[in-house]
Amino acid sequence: MIERLLDLLRAGGVRRIADLARELETTPALVEAMLDGLERMGYLRRMDGSEHGCGGAETKNREGCAGCALAGACAVAGSERVWSLTEKATGHMR
Amino acid sequence: MNEQGRGSQSADRNPLVALAGQPNVGKSTVFNLLTGLNQHVGNWPGKTVERKEGTFTCDGTTYRLVDLPGTYSLTANSPEELVAREFIIRERPDVVVALVDAAILERSLYLVAELVALPAPVIVGLNMMDVAQQEGMQIDPQKLEATLGVRVVPMSASHNVGVRELVEAIGQAARGDYIYTPKRPEIRADHAEVLAEITRLVTEWVPQPYPPDWVALKLLEGDEEITRLMQAHLPAERWEAVHDILKAHEDALVAVASGRYEWIGQAIRAAVTRPRTGQIGLTERLDRWATHPLGGLVILAAILGLTFWLTYTVGTPALNLLDTYVIHPLADLARTVLEPFSPWLAGLVADGVIGGAGFILTFLPILVIFFAVMGVLEDVGYMARAAYVMDRFMHPMGLHGKSFLPLFLGFGCNVPAVLGTRVIESRRARLLTALLVPLVPCTARMTVVAFLAPAFFGPAATLVSWGVVLLALSVLAVSGVLISKIVFRGERAAFIMELPLYHLPNPRTIGLLVWQRTLEFVRKAGTVILPVSVVVWALSALPGGGVESSYLATVGRWLEPAGRLLGLDWRLVVALLTSFVAKENSIATLGVLLGTGEGGLAQRLAATYPAATGLAFLAVQVLFIPCVATVAAMRQEVGWRGMLFNLGLQTAVSLAVGMTVYWLARLGGLG
Repeated sequence: MIERLLDLLRAGGVRRIADLARELETTPALVEAMLDGLERMGYLRRMDGSEHGCGGAETKNREGCAGCALAGACAVAGSERVWSLTEKATGHMR
Repeated sequence: MNEQGRGSQSADRNPLVALAGQPNVGKSTVFNLLTGLNQHVGNWPGKTVERKEGTFTCDGTTYRLVDLPGTYSLTANSPEELVAREFIIRERPDVVVALVDAAILERSLYLVAELVALPAPVIVGLNMMDVAQQEGMQIDPQKLEATLGVRVVPMSASHNVGVRELVEAIGQAARGDYIYTPKRPEIRADHAEVLAEITRLVTEWVPQPYPPDWVALKLLEGDEEITRLMQAHLPAERWEAVHDILKAHEDALVAVASGRYEWIGQAIRAAVTRPRTGQIGLTERLDRWATHPLGGLVILAAILGLTFWLTYTVGTPALNLLDTYVIHPLADLARTVLEPFSPWLAGLVADGVIGGAGFILTFLPILVIFFAVMGVLEDVGYMARAAYVMDRFMHPMGLHGKSFLPLFLGFGCNVPAVLGTRVIESRRARLLTALLVPLVPCTARMTVVAFLAPAFFGPAATLVSWGVVLLALSVLAVSGVLISKIVFRGERAAFIMELPLYHLPNPRTIGLLVWQRTLEFVRKAGTVILPVSVVVWALSALPGGGVESSYLATVGRWLEPAGRLLGLDWRLVVALLTSFVAKENSIATLGVLLGTGEGGLAQRLAATYPAATGLAFLAVQVLFIPCVATVAAMRQEVGWRGMLFNLGLQTAVSLAVGMTVYWLARLGGLG
C-alpha cells in the first residue's frame, strides 16, 4: 500500500490526503499514518511547523513556521500537514 | 519493587508482563492503575532511557510489569526502540500488552504489526474508546480481534473502564490459556522469495535468543543493529551472499512497511466505521466543485473577476470622489497659499507632493476593498484551494512542484517569494524559480492595473484586468514549461498538503489584515513613493521653461522612439521607468505629469491616450522589470549574473508582449 502511495506522490504536484485515501481505497487517517511512516523512513520531509521547518538549509529553524521570515506571506504557514519528497524518494525512481 | 522477603528465584517465576505502546496512548495511566505504589523507576542498563517496573496481584498470582519506552516502531533508529525490542527478545515476557489509541487507530497499530513478529504473545489494549466514541468512530473489538488474530480488550483507562478485563486476559495468557494465533503482516510476493532465501542463508548462524525469521526480516529492512550482529556471526562467504541480496533490494524497507500498512488497512476496513460529521461533510461537498480539475479553474477565474468587479464598482467612484473633492482642492489651496511666496515651492507641494504621493493615497478605497476580499478568501479557507487548483493547472505543463510555493507567495509580494525559493534544494532549480518569480503579478502591480484599467476602459475595466492577469499567468506558464523542459528534464517533486476546513470568516481577523496591509501601503507612499514623486516633479519643472522643455522630457524623448513601437509617448515611458523604485510610482509620475489639469488624472488619461496604448501600457506594466526591492533580493539569492539575466529577460518579454498587444489592438480598431 505504501508503495502505491509513493508512486502517487512521485507523479508530482500538490496532493490532498482525502484524494490519496480515495485512490488507495483506504481512510485518510491511514494515509496520514503512512505519511508519518514515510517521514520516519526518510522519504518525506515536513515543510510545516515541525523541527526543521521548510527543510531548506538556510531557512532551517527550530520554531518552524513561527520562526520563519516568510510565514506572513506563505500559503502553507500554520498548516499542520505539508510534506515534500526527499531525494531518497525521488532517487528510487531511477 | 514489592519483592522484599522473597527470593529472587520466586520473583523470577512470577509471570512477566511487558507494557508496550506509542507515546501518548495512556501507558502511564494503565501502569499506575495496575501497580499503584508498587513501582520502581530506574534506567535501562547502559542507556539513559527510563525503566519503570512494578508488580500487581490478581487471584493470588503476583505479576511483574515492565513499562517499555513509548515507541512508534521497533527499528534500530532510537535507543528507546532498541530497548523495547531487546527486552522482548531477551527476557521473553509471558505476555506483551500493546496499548493502542482507538481514536488514532491507524497510527497506533503500526507498533502492533511489529510486535506480532516477535515470539511473545500479544494482547491489544484498545484504549481511549471514550474519545473515539466522542469523535463518532465506531470500533468493533470482536472484528478487530478476528482480523488481527490477537486478543483485543476495549478500555478507557482514564475512566478505569476495561482494566479488570485486561488483567483477566493477562491472567489467561500467563496460565497458558491464551491460544495465540496472530495473522502476521505479509510481505509482497517478489520480496517474500527474497526473505525466504535470506532466512535459509542465516538461520543456522543466528545467535540465541534471536528468532531467525525476525532477524531475516530486519536484515531485509536494512536494520543497522541486526546487520552488524549478523556480519559478526556469519562466515565471510555466507555474509557476502546475504550482502549481495540485500544490496539488490535496497528498497525492501518500503516493501516490508507496505505489508504492515496493508495489514492495518484490512483491520480498519473490518472493524471501524466513521460517520461523516457536519463540517467535514460541508467542506467535502464544497470542494467537489472548488477543487474540480475544470470546475475549480472556472470558479477561480470567476472569483478573480468578481474581486475586480467589486473593487471597481465600489472603489473607483470613491477614488474619483477623493481625487475631485480632496486632492484637487488641496492642491489648489496649496497653490493659492504658496504662490505669493514662491512659485517654485507652490509647484513642489501642489504637483510634486500632493499630485504625486498624495494622489497615491486616493487609492486607499480600492486597496481596502481588494485587501478585504483577499482577506475573506484567505480566512474562509479558499486561498489554499486556489493554490491547489493552480498547481493542478500548472502541473500537466511540468512545472516543478516545489517551485509552486514561492511562485504562489509572489502574488502577495515578489520579495518574500524570491527569498522563498530557498525551500528548493537543487541550486539550478532554485535559480530558475527565482528568475520566474517576478513574472507573478504582485499586489503593487495589481494596484497599478486596478487604477489604470477603469481610467482607460471604464465599464470594461473588469474584463480588461481579468485579461491582463490571465496574460501574465500565461507568460508565466509558458516560461515555466520551457524552463522545466530544459532544466528539470521531467523531474518532479510532490507536495502534500491538507486543505483546511471551510469556516465562516472572522471580521476581526480580516479587519486586522486589512489594517496592517493598508498601513504598510501608506508607509510606502510616505517613504518610497514621495521622494521619487518629488524628484520626478523637480526634473519635470527644471530648468524652468515648462514640462515640455524640462530635463525629464529630454530624457523621455530620447527613449521615446522605443516607446513609439508600442504606442507609448515620453510620459508613459518615464512612468514605466519610475516604477522600478516602486510599482505605484507609475501612477504617481503620471499624476505629476498629467494630473493637475481639469477632471482628474483618470479622465485626462482617457482623453490623452487611445485604448490600444492603454492596453499595451497595462501589459508592459505587469511584465516589466520588477521593483528595486525584488531586484535586490534576486541579487542576494541568485547573484549578479542571475539578476542581470532576469532584468534582460523581463525587458525583452514585456516589450515584445506590449508591442504585440498594441498592434493587435490597433488592428482590432482600438487605435
